[in-house]
Amino acid sequence: MTVRRLIGRSLLSWAALSPLLLLVLFPFAVMLSTALKPIDEVLAWPPRWLPQRLAWRNFADMWTAADFGTAALNSLGISIAATLLALAVAVPAAYAVARLDLPGRDLYRQFLLVTQMLSPVLLVLGLFRMAASVPFGGGTLVDTRTGVVLIYAAFNIAFAVWMLASYFATIPRDLEEAAWIDGCTRAGAVLRIFLPLAAPAIAVTAIVTFVAAWNEFTVALTLLRDPAKLTLTLRVVNLVAGRYSVQWNQVMAATLLATLPVAVIFTLLQRYLVQGLTLGAVK
Amino acid sequence: MRGRAGRRKAAAWLLVLPSLLLALAVLLYPFWEILRLSVSDVSRFGQVRGFVGLANFARVFADPVFRAALLRTLVWTGAVVGGTVLVSAGVALVLRQDFVGRGLARVLVMLPWSISLSMAAIVWLWAFDGDHGMVNTTLRTLGLLHGNVQWMARPATAFPVEIGAGILVSVPFTTTILLGGLSSIPGEIYEAASIDGATRLQSFRHLTLPLLRGFVNIAIVLNVIYVFNSFPIIWVMTQGGPDNGTHILVTYLYEVAFRLGRPGPAAAVSLVMLAIVFAATLLYVRLQRERA
Repeated sequence: MTVRRLIGRSLLSWAALSPLLLLVLFPFAVMLSTALKPIDEVLAWPPRWLPQRLAWRNFADMWTAADFGTAALNSLGISIAATLLALAVAVPAAYAVARLDLPGRDLYRQFLLVTQMLSPVLLVLGLFRMAASVPFGGGTLVDTRTGVVLIYAAFNIAFAVWMLASYFATIPRDLEEAAWIDGCTRAGAVLRIFLPLAAPAIAVTAIVTFVAAWNEFTVALTLLRDPAKLTLTLRVVNLVAGRYSVQWNQVMAATLLATLPVAVIFTLLQRYLVQGLTLGAVK
Repeated sequence: MRGRAGRRKAAAWLLVLPSLLLALAVLLYPFWEILRLSVSDVSRFGQVRGFVGLANFARVFADPVFRAALLRTLVWTGAVVGGTVLVSAGVALVLRQDFVGRGLARVLVMLPWSISLSMAAIVWLWAFDGDHGMVNTTLRTLGLLHGNVQWMARPATAFPVEIGAGILVSVPFTTTILLGGLSSIPGEIYEAASIDGATRLQSFRHLTLPLLRGFVNIAIVLNVIYVFNSFPIIWVMTQGGPDNGTHILVTYLYEVAFRLGRPGPAAAVSLVMLAIVFAATLLYVRLQRERA
């Protein structure tokens, strides 16, 4: 291909993508612009993109107004616990699906497919009643982070097993078998040979589960009441929902701060995610 | 020998068991509860007071808000999925080619995936603010608008905004599936076609489109299920309002269950929705089989 053709094609490609890219970047521009404005500029007429004075204190104000630190710790704790639990049950299951003689494998896979199709919101009433019927620490699972963790983990199993099993199937058996011959037990071979090879897949699955839990809204909205237990998503939504006057500069500071870490992680790992998802979703 | 094989099978099931138990506990019990509530007279506080047959379903279907929400769910699902697949197909075709900065373009296209739906909804809600929002400002700067539009004050403008937000957040996932589909088409068949004298348009129509069809079908069915169940965008932006004018089934379900406190009818709505999702799932399984 000649250089001129490459340049022409590149210009055309970027031009074709530009309307979508503008729409993708627009909310980020809005977040950044409003998050840095003092409130009188937010409400000034006509609105401008660039702040005249940078109001860094929005972040500090928001931090107290939304109890951002506590909410971030809740989100982090819930997401990590849900991810670990989902992996703890999904990794062995995926190994069995990909490697072992599992009678009823197709039935199990179809069961997973059905659970994948059920979103928590369809079952939300039943999930609430289930949580209310399980005794936990003097009360029930309602308004506990443990309840949220269990539900998040359960709804991520299907995806995790599918994705892990399709990766596991690509890891050659010979390596494990060679280890058996060398006197390694089956479990030893899994631990020393198989799991290290599977680590990238497990990492990708962990990240997808973590991000899903971090971003989840409906279950948290339904189960959590105590302000000290709310997740970040809920806290930020509460800054807006049902309020007569909204401090939009603080809200945008909060969305920016809540969004950026996940966006950065996601961007760095995007290539692996896309590879993994195409394997898991399509194959 | 048989004993050993049996033990192996048992071991395989032992590995699967925890995942099965957790999923069953968190899915089956709630499902059973919904089934039970849907045919019961249930108090506001969840007390089951007796069997009422299909009365909850009759009550739901008699509610004009439910019927409007059912219809609107069709519009919502159709518009978001249709828009998403069209945009994503175009984006995937562009991203498949080799061009300068493709890596960056991919990252940007995928960016909305990382943001939670509720956060995206909050930002768009503010961007579409009637008095201080940047959408009105931008449209005025471009000369497309003179006064201010109060987008969220009327369902006729609020609902299309929500559809637009829905499309934007669904594009990354769909593009990913379609890119996967495109990359599974071997490059040689295009070379063969061009040697045989096919124009680029011809090879697109007769090679790319038919080969991509299976992936497009999967993208459509998966999106139908996700979008049909999508709760945060509408709930955060309009809560089904103003005047119940933007309710879809999920938001209606949530309102009936937790705002209005009518568990019986809400369970009936859940079951209607489950039936719809189940039908879509069967379709998906069939499409998957056709491909295999």
